Amino acid sequence: MHKDFADFSIKYLGKIGASYAEARLEEESSNAFMLKNNISEISGFGESSGLGIRYILNKNLGFISINNFDKDKIKSIIDKSVSLTRNSSKIGEKTELSKDSLYKKKYEAGQKIKIADLKPEEKINLLKDLDKDVMSTNVKIPSRYFSLSDVINNKYFINSEGKEITSIIPRINLFYFLTIGSGKKVVQRYWQYGAVSGYEAFKKWNINEVLKNEVKNLDLAAKKGKKISGGRMDVVAGPEISGIAVHEACGHPYEADRILGREGAQAGESFVNCDSIGNKIGSEAVSVIDDPTIKDGFGYYLYDDEGVKAREKYLMKNGVINEFLHDRQTAAKMNLKSNGSCRTPSYNLEPIIRMSNTYIKSGNYKEEELIEGVKEGIYIKSFTEWNIDDKRWNQKYVGSEAYLIKNGKIAYPLIRPIIEITTPALYGSIDAIGKNFELHSASCGKSEPMAAVPVGMGGPTIRIRSIIVK
Amino acid sequence: MEKEIAKYLLKKLIEKGSDDVVISYVSSEAKQIKFVNNEIVKTGTEYLRSLNVFASLKKRLISTTLKDITKKSADNLVDNILNFSKNIRAKDDYYGIAKGPFKYKKIEDLYEKNYDDIDMVDLTVKGINASLENAKRASGILEGSNAKIYLTTSNNVELEYEGTHLYFSIRAFYDKESSGHKTVSGRTLKKFNVEKAGLEAGKVAKDAKNPIEGKPGRYDVILDPLASAPLFDAIGNSSSIFNVETGTSFFGNRLNKKVADSGFTMYDDPTYPDGLNSIPFDSEGYPTIKNTVIKNGVFKTYLHNTSTAKKYNTKNTGNAGLIAPEPTNILIDKGRKTREELIKNVKNGLYITNVWYTRFTNYATGDFSTIPRDGIFLIKKGNIEGSIKNIRISENMLNILNNLKEKANDIQQIRSWEAEIPVIIPSILVKNMRITGPVL
Repeated sequence: MHKDFADFSIKYLGKIGASYAEARLEEESSNAFMLKNNISEISGFGESSGLGIRYILNKNLGFISINNFDKDKIKSIIDKSVSLTRNSSKIGEKTELSKDSLYKKKYEAGQKIKIADLKPEEKINLLKDLDKDVMSTNVKIPSRYFSLSDVINNKYFINSEGKEITSIIPRINLFYFLTIGSGKKVVQRYWQYGAVSGYEAFKKWNINEVLKNEVKNLDLAAKKGKKISGGRMDVVAGPEISGIAVHEACGHPYEADRILGREGAQAGESFVNCDSIGNKIGSEAVSVIDDPTIKDGFGYYLYDDEGVKAREKYLMKNGVINEFLHDRQTAAKMNLKSNGSCRTPSYNLEPIIRMSNTYIKSGNYKEEELIEGVKEGIYIKSFTEWNIDDKRWNQKYVGSEAYLIKNGKIAYPLIRPIIEITTPALYGSIDAIGKNFELHSASCGKSEPMAAVPVGMGGPTIRIRSIIVK
Repeated sequence: MEKEIAKYLLKKLIEKGSDDVVISYVSSEAKQIKFVNNEIVKTGTEYLRSLNVFASLKKRLISTTLKDITKKSADNLVDNILNFSKNIRAKDDYYGIAKGPFKYKKIEDLYEKNYDDIDMVDLTVKGINASLENAKRASGILEGSNAKIYLTTSNNVELEYEGTHLYFSIRAFYDKESSGHKTVSGRTLKKFNVEKAGLEAGKVAKDAKNPIEGKPGRYDVILDPLASAPLFDAIGNSSSIFNVETGTSFFGNRLNKKVADSGFTMYDDPTYPDGLNSIPFDSEGYPTIKNTVIKNGVFKTYLHNTSTAKKYNTKNTGNAGLIAPEPTNILIDKGRKTREELIKNVKNGLYITNVWYTRFTNYATGDFSTIPRDGIFLIKKGNIEGSIKNIRISENMLNILNNLKEKANDIQQIRSWEAEIPVIIPSILVKNMRITGPVL
C-alpha cells in the first residue's frame, strides 16, 4: 500500500496550519460478471487505489480525493483545496469534532471460500446454474438478468490525533431481475443478495432453491391471483418488508445529520427533531437496532471511517425514540460522543452518517402464529415498488408475493396489494413480532454526489393491526 | 506519458490476438462547495485519472483498468487480460465495434475557457442571497469539473477531447414544511445563472407555506422541468435496446407503434450545445448524432451501438456504451405558451415543482410511483390556490406520454439525483394524472 502518501498528506496539512487532518487510503481488487438471457455479457476485473483526505483549517472543513500517487501532485491538490477552504471561511460553518479514544487497530473479515480461489469461469457458472434452475421450473421467464460482483477492500486510516486503523473487507453481491409470465399477466421480481464474506455466502443464501420457489409462486400469483378489494385489515409482513420499513422510516430519519439539516438539499431532512429522544413513536412491541458488528452483514465494519469503534445502537426501544446515528460532527453539536456511524463507499466521497445493518429485534411468535391471529387480512412475503418522502413520513410498499389470510389461514395469492401509510401509523400498529430473522442487503443512497453504501436490513415477520390496504 | 502507455497497451493487445480493443484515458479535476442553512460546510477538491480497457478476444468481452500507469504495469495487465479471457465465456451476440476513421462535427459551448478563474465561493453567496429574498435558509451544492479524454481503438480511431461541467443545486426553506428546489447546469458560464435559481427556489418555498394534506384523485398536472426530468430519465433508459433485452423497458415490442400523444416528439441529442452529456463521439469513437426516438407519438428507434445495431439489422444510433447503448441528453422541444398560460387553462389541477423516489412495480408495463416534494400547488379554475403535501403520483409511463398534451416555453436543462441522464425539457401539462396518498 502507498501508506507513506497518507502519512505525508497528514504531515503536510499540519505544517500549513490544519488543526485536524485524516487520510483514508484504499486499495481494491474486484471482479464482475453478467448473464443476460443465458448469454454471458462483458466480464470485468481490476485493481484500483486512491486517497481521501479530510481536514479542518480555521474551523472550516475541506475534503480532497486523488488517485495519482505523486507527492508533488498531492501537494498541489492540497494547496488548491486549502485555498478554496480559506476563501470559504467568510460564510463557513465552524466545524467541531467530538472527542474520541485513541488506538491503533487492525482487523480482517474472514472468508471460507476465498474470492481469489474461485476462477472467473466458476463464478460465471454460479450464474449459469441459477439461470438453468429457474428455467427448470417450466415457468415462462422471457427475460432473465443476473449480475455477480466481488471486491476486497484494503483500507488504511490515520488521523493527526494519532489514530490508525487497518482493515480488509471482502464483499460479494448478487443481483437478479426476472420477468415472469406472458401477455398481460407479466410480473417482475428484482432483489439483491450481499454479504461481507467469501463465496460460502452463496451456499448460505440457498439462492437456487429460493429463486425456484419465487418464480413458481409469482407465476401462480400472476395467473390465479386476485386483486384485493381494499379496506382496513391486518397485515402480516415478512422480513423483507420489516427490513425495508426500518431502513426507510426508522434508520434514515434518525440520522443526526439529516435532523440538523446537513442533507437538506438532496437526501432530505427528518420529521424527527433534536429533542425527540424519549418520544413514543411506535407500539411497545417494536425495538429497532443498527449494528455494524454483525459478522457477515452487508453493512459490516468494526471501526467507522472516522476511526470510531462501531457498536450496537437501539434506535427505537419498545416504541420509544432511543438514539440517533452520529458521526463526530453531529455528536459535537449535541454534546455527545460519536456512536461510530460515519462511512463512505469510496475514498473519493466524503464520509457521512450512514446506517449499517438495521433491523427490528425478534420477538416470541412463530410466523404461523402471527398468521393464525388474523381473521381477515394479508400476508406479504416480498415487495416490489416502494418509496418514501424526504422527511420519512409518507411511505408506500407494494406486495410482490402476497396472499389473502382468511380465518387464520392462507387463502389465495393476491395481485400487488398496496400499503400507503405514515410512519407513526405504521409503527403504532405493530402488535406482535416473530422469532424468525433474515438480514437482507441493499445499496443505500445519500449525499451529493450520490454515495451508495452497502447496508444490511431485515428482521423478523411482523404483524400490523388494522391498517388500510389498497 | 499516459497517451504513450495507452498506445502501447493497444498495440500489445492487438499483437496478442484481440479482435477489438478500446482504450480511454480520462483525467478530471473537480471542485465543490456544499452549503447548509446558508453556511458552507465543506469544500471538495478532486483529481482523478483512469486508464480504461475494453477488449474482445474471440467474443470474450473484458472490461478492466490499469492501476499504475507504467509500461511494466501495462505488460502485467496484458497477461492478466489473456489469462482472464481463457476463463470466461463468449458473448455469442457480440458483433464488434465501429470501424474508423471518422469525421466529427464541432459542438458549441462545451468548454468554459475561464473555468480556472471561477470564484466558487462568490457564486455560492450570490445563489444563497438570492434565495433569502423570500426564504429563510438554503442548502445545496455548487460543482465544477474539467475532464480530458483520450480515446483510441483497434479500428482506426484516435481522439482527444476536453470539456467542462457546471452544476448548482439550491433548496430553499421558508419553514420546516415549505421548501423550493431549483437547479442550473451546463458546460459554460453563458447560461449558468445561480441567482435566478436561488430566487426561484426562494419564491417557491415562500409560496408553499402552510401546506394542507393533499386529496387523492385525478388531476391535470403541470410538471416543472425538475419534476418531469426523473420520469424522462426512465423514458430515456427505456429507449436503450439493452433495457428491452433485460425486461426493463416499457418500449419493448413497440417499434413504430404509438406510445405517446400525437403532438409529442422526443430526441436523444448528444450534439446539443451546452448539453451536459454532449460529446462528438461515443464510447467506440463513432460520431454522435441527434436521434428522433419518438416522432409525433410514434416510437421510431431504440438506442444502439455498433454490435446491437448489427444484431438487429438496423442502423447504429451512436449510443455506445460498450456494455450497453446509453441515452445521452434527452430533449423535448419547447412550446409557445408560458407556464402561467398553461396554468390558466387548468380547471382542477396541480402544479408540481419536484419529485423524488421514482420506483417501478413493473418496468415492462411502465407502472410506477414517485413522490412530489417541495412546492406542490393546487390549481382551481386557472388560479393557484395554496399548497398541499403528502401526495404521490401513482401512474403508468405510457399513460403519462399519451396524456402529455401541452408544453410551455420555459425549456431548461436538468441534471439531478434522479435524472442522471440530462433532460432538456420545458414545463409540461399531463392530463388526468392519478394522485394517491397515505390514509391515516
